[in-house]
Amino acid sequence: MLLELIQGTEGGGLIIIQDSINYSGRHLLMSFINAALKRDEVVHLLAFELHEEDLKHELDHSCFQRLTFHNAFQDPLGWNEQPPFTVHQFITKELDSLLTPTHLSKPVTLVIDSFSWILRHLSPPSVCKTLQRLKKGGAVKTTLGLLHSDMHHRNMVGSICHLATSVVTLVPGHQCHEAVAKTIRRAKSGTISQAEERFSFNEDMSVKVQSQPIQVGAPQTDAGDAEVDPTANLTFNLRLSHQERKAKEKLALPFVFSKEKKSALLHSGPGSGRILYEPDANDDYDQEDPDDDLDI
Amino acid sequence: MFAELNAILNTSPDSFKQGEFILVSDRRADASFLVHHFLSFYLRAGCKVCFLGLAQSFSHYNAVSQRLGVSLTQAKEKGQLLFLEGLKESLDVLLGRTSDTGSRALDFLRDPAVGLRCLYEFVQASVSDSGDGGEGGGGPPVLLVDDLTVLLSLGVSVGSVLDFSHYCHATVCSQLKGNMVMLVRCEGEEDEDEDGDEEGSERLLKGLTHQCSLTLHVQGLPTGFCRDIHGQVEVCWRKTQKDKPPNQKKLFQYKVHDKGASFFARGTSSAVL
Repeated sequence: MLLELIQGTEGGGLIIIQDSINYSGRHLLMSFINAALKRDEVVHLLAFELHEEDLKHELDHSCFQRLTFHNAFQDPLGWNEQPPFTVHQFITKELDSLLTPTHLSKPVTLVIDSFSWILRHLSPPSVCKTLQRLKKGGAVKTTLGLLHSDMHHRNMVGSICHLATSVVTLVPGHQCHEAVAKTIRRAKSGTISQAEERFSFNEDMSVKVQSQPIQVGAPQTDAGDAEVDPTANLTFNLRLSHQERKAKEKLALPFVFSKEKKSALLHSGPGSGRILYEPDANDDYDQEDPDDDLDI
Repeated sequence: MFAELNAILNTSPDSFKQGEFILVSDRRADASFLVHHFLSFYLRAGCKVCFLGLAQSFSHYNAVSQRLGVSLTQAKEKGQLLFLEGLKESLDVLLGRTSDTGSRALDFLRDPAVGLRCLYEFVQASVSDSGDGGEGGGGPPVLLVDDLTVLLSLGVSVGSVLDFSHYCHATVCSQLKGNMVMLVRCEGEEDEDEDGDEEGSERLLKGLTHQCSLTLHVQGLPTGFCRDIHGQVEVCWRKTQKDKPPNQKKLFQYKVHDKGASFFARGTSSAVL
């Protein structure tokens, strides 16, 4: 499902890549950008956390020309003079004017790196409103963004992810060059599909999925519904027949001290040993106090 | 400067990667030996160093650096080192005295809510005016901060500190191709609290980890105190390197000596072999 998302066969919407300090999602974001550029789409990159120089190393030189870079990294709060783009310009009106001078025939992809920067400075409702407008229509076909989910309260992460058509959550894999992507996709019909895939990167930044997706599909319905009789398939008998009960009652238990047992123990048969004790003259044996001879 | 650490990080004062943001953090251990390492490293490399000493006085850093073979007083006189003595200057601001240097770097103390723009402007001014100061003009500028957690204690919010580090990153690393080293201290245990209501220093550490290109995380030994091994340091390269995937991690144990530190793979201390 990850490959389908990267290839853009799903038809746009809002795609969110969630990462954490354990695994950075920027590499995957670059693969998305590369794939979109190769499809001859117009890509606008709104970069808060990325310098243009770093980007040149990551992307194909041939494709780089078709990318429009909006530098929000240099001065996002307007501390220096003449900021190219500040975080407070992240409203529908400003974004529209940013995206208008493009070729109308080609689909437009807006990439935001990252939502975390915006969420730290703008209120969640206004960010959600802007994203909803972007999703609903206008010039932009696909909005793609990175979200550092461990930096925000989970309610905030949840409300942003509710807006998304697809959410890719990244966790590190067992081997160092691998990672696991959990993808949740909402189709227009309302059905939700999930997949968990192991992936790694090729030399040219494309994604290689290592294993077949583990479909997590529809929730299982059989569990817990039918009343199961716990006594159905036992290896032992829970009830006794009349005969069995009689036999059980006959049996003398080993710890019950019957008369026969007592006599058998006291009057031992011939050939067994006995203890004879004759008190010595010096023995001052007192039945009342056996420790009498001890000098305490 | 520790030669063993240079070997691990594959760097030397003669040739080091420019534009790096190195994050040094510690938990139940003291990572200040790494700050001293980077201070002497960049002074030897001939960089112009701007040091924000918020945790200790100048004489403390000078005494330690002398043991590592670098004189801070000389570097300061040459104009190679620009030292902001946070302890002294913050007291001046808080007591309402006029500062000797007349700098407005710590003006945020009067109202921590306004953010760290004045501190950033101090950094920007001190790293960009190269050329007038002696031998410092040769190498790229370097910013060292010891430590950012002090700012949190002074009432600055986590968001403001992250904004400050972002601006320093944009100016020092990207624009001027210099390097930046920042120290963050975390208290308490690393808890996997899902609520997101964690302490300021934890949120700061996460935010900075997303920004930086290399992290050095110093921890105490999980098994407790040991005389021959002082702790472990986890090195993580967060950016892609040549023929290496991103997010590569390595773990070493260390022992701090009188005039240096030794690093070794886990379980290979000379005391236990």
